[in-house]
Amino acid sequence: MIYWGGNPAECHPRHFTKYSLTQKGKFTPNGRKDRTMVLVDIRETPSAKAADLFLQIRPGKDFELISVLRALVKGQRVRADAAAEIGLPMQQVHDLVGMMKAARFGIIFFGMGLSMTRGKHMNSAGVLMLAAEMNAFTKFVAMPMRGHGNVTGADVVMRYSTGYPFGVNLCRGYPRFNPGEFSTVDLLVRGDNDACLVLGADPGATMPQPAIDHLARIPTIVLDPKVTHTSRLARVHITTAVTGVSAPGTAYRMDEIPLPLRPALKSPYPTDEQVVRRIREAVQRRPAWLPGRNGKHGNLVSHGM
Amino acid sequence: MSLTVVKNATCTFCGCVCDDIELHANAEKIVATKRACSLGESWFKNHTAERLYPEALIDGQEATVDAAVEVAADYLVNANMPLVYGMSNVTCEAQREAVSLAELVGGIIDSHTSL
Ligand code: SF4
Repeated sequence: MIYWGGNPAECHPRHFTKYSLTQKGKFTPNGRKDRTMVLVDIRETPSAKAADLFLQIRPGKDFELISVLRALVKGQRVRADAAAEIGLPMQQVHDLVGMMKAARFGIIFFGMGLSMTRGKHMNSAGVLMLAAEMNAFTKFVAMPMRGHGNVTGADVVMRYSTGYPFGVNLCRGYPRFNPGEFSTVDLLVRGDNDACLVLGADPGATMPQPAIDHLARIPTIVLDPKVTHTSRLARVHITTAVTGVSAPGTAYRMDEIPLPLRPALKSPYPTDEQVVRRIREAVQRRPAWLPGRNGKHGNLVSHGM
Repeated sequence: MSLTVVKNATCTFCGCVCDDIELHANAEKIVATKRACSLGESWFKNHTAERLYPEALIDGQEATVDAAVEVAADYLVNANMPLVYGMSNVTCEAQREAVSLAELVGGIIDSHTSL
C-alpha cells in the first residue's frame, strides 16, 4: 500500500482505521500486520509514523520517481544518478519495486501533493500508468485521495450526464471537454466567462487573486450555508441547508460508493437542490437562449449567421 | 430537552464519507458525535439549525429567496458563457440539477477536481 503526496493521518483521519490499513480482511486476517505501508512525500508528516517505509523525495520530483519506478518495474536499466536527483538512495527505489511486485494486492493512494505540484495531471497519469503496468505482475490499483465531501459525486454525476468528469463546456449545446481551457481557474484568470454560479465552494478564499478579481467583476451567484468570502464579492447570495447535517441526499465516498445522508437537524433554509431547481425553473420561464439575443454577437446574427 | 439520535449518520467533511456515525441532536444543534474523528466532530458541531444568516442577499442587501432566484436566473440567461462551479459540498441530487441548469443556459460546468 503506497500513499503518495498525501497526509491521511491529518486530512483523512479515519482512512487508516476504517478502510485501508488496520481493517482485517479475508486475505489479511491480521490487519495491519499483513500489510506493508509506504509513504512518499516531500516532508515527514505525522502519517510517516504509520509507515513501514518512508521515502522523502525532493519537491517537484514526483514525476521523476514515477518514471524511474515504471522503468525498473519493466526491468529496464536506470542511470545511478537518477535516484540522487530525486533525493533517494537507489537501493530504496529497488526495495520499493521489490515490495510492489511481492504484494498480492497493491494500491497507490495519491493526494494533492502529487496532483497539484510540478507535473500536475501528468503526475496523476503517471501513477495510473504505473498501477496499470504493475498488473503484469500482481493485482494493483490506484485511487485519488479526495478532499471535500462529495467531489467524487460531482465526477460521477457529470460523467454519467455529460460523459466527462469535470470542466465540461455546454455552450454549443453538446458537451466538450478540455482541461486547461474549460477548467475554472483558467477560465477566470483569462476572464472568459461573464457570469458564475458557485455552489458548495468558496473560490474567494482559495483561488489565485486574478481569478477572484474576475469573480468580483462579473455577476457571481453563491449558494452556501454561510456568507463566505465569495458571497461578499458576489451580486447574489442564497443561504442553503448544510449537506449531510440538515440537507438530505446522496454523497459518493472516494471509492465511488454512493451513501445516503442522514441529516440530524432541520434547517430553516432550503437545500441546494431546491434552490438550483428553482433557478432552473426561473430560467425556463424566460425566452429561449439564442446566439446574439443579448446583443454581443448581434452583427454576426444580422449577417445571416 | 429531548434528544434525537441518528444512527449510521454520514459525515461529508472529507472524502472518507464515514457512514457509521451516531449523532445526538436537540432541535438546534448536534451535541454528540460518536465514532467521528476530530475533523468530523467539529464539522458536525459547527453547523446548527439556527438562523444565523439572512436567507438571501442581493448586492449585499437582504432579500427574499424568491427575488434572489429571479435575479440569478436573469444573470445566467443574459450571460454568453456562464460558469457553474463548485459542487463539492452538495448532494448528487443538487449536482444533477446543476448539470441540467448549465445545459439550459449553455454554460460550462466544473468542479473542484480541475483545481
Ligand atoms: S469522520 Fe473524519 S474521516 Fe470520516 S468522513 Fe468525517 S472527517 Fe472524514
